[in-house]
Amino acid sequence: MSHSIHTLTVKQIISRVRQAFPNAPEAYIMSLINDATNEMGEYSQKSISAKVTLAADQMFYNIGDSATDSSSERMGINKIYRVDIMDNEGDYIQIPRVLDGEPLMFDITSESAGIKDPGD
Amino acid sequence: MASNIKYPEDQVLYFIRGDQLGLITTYSSSGETRTSRKAYQAIDHAVTDGLLIHYYGNPKRVTAITDTPDVDNLFHSSIVDYVKRCLYMDKAGRSGDPGAAQSSMALAATHDKKFNDTIKRFGSRKREKTGGTRAVVPANFT
Repeated sequence: MSHSIHTLTVKQIISRVRQAFPNAPEAYIMSLINDATNEMGEYSQKSISAKVTLAADQMFYNIGDSATDSSSERMGINKIYRVDIMDNEGDYIQIPRVLDGEPLMFDITSESAGIKDPGD
Repeated sequence: MASNIKYPEDQVLYFIRGDQLGLITTYSSSGETRTSRKAYQAIDHAVTDGLLIHYYGNPKRVTAITDTPDVDNLFHSSIVDYVKRCLYMDKAGRSGDPGAAQSSMALAATHDKKFNDTIKRFGSRKREKTGGTRAVVPANFT
């Protein structure tokens, strides 16, 4: 059974804001709406999953603001809570997290590539 | 580019260093025996879509007035509070009249409280999708 759900579009939000601020610029309100949803992202815990292609001999993968998935979509990661790796049958299997993250051998190439990214 | 790793849960580990996710494994495609010092290395073969990450992420940004904010509809009215809070603060900053500035700041504080209550204070209760009574299955010791 489907039923309609009440949501607000940007236009309706602007309309409500203009009850108090009739001359507020549309672009500025939209910018503030994006600030609001960003702040909500810290608390409302929007759960997302993304696939990333593994490169041979690459230890580090970018998870900063500029990081993209294998469809070139920006991921926008705040907190990672689970990681899976594809096994030899094509199924995703959860892998454990190392707490200290200090393996003896380091892949300095991919680590440096990530550090140099100024957008993150 | 398929995966060769049969048991990722035993052979692959991840860790997070700032803005980077590290993947290390004891698996070797060539069957090489690794010493304990160099046991953990990067995965040695490419795998299309080989990594699946589950995370809490940023909502998509709005770009047109026909867009709907990418958050639960329970929080849509809070966006109005957030925007009004900012506009009242702007108004207080612009105002040359201390009385008008004070009343703008009071209204900004009202909207700030409403936003914070909805998102931070009661947010987890609002977004919780679990309902109904809990059924507990006792452990089977046999």
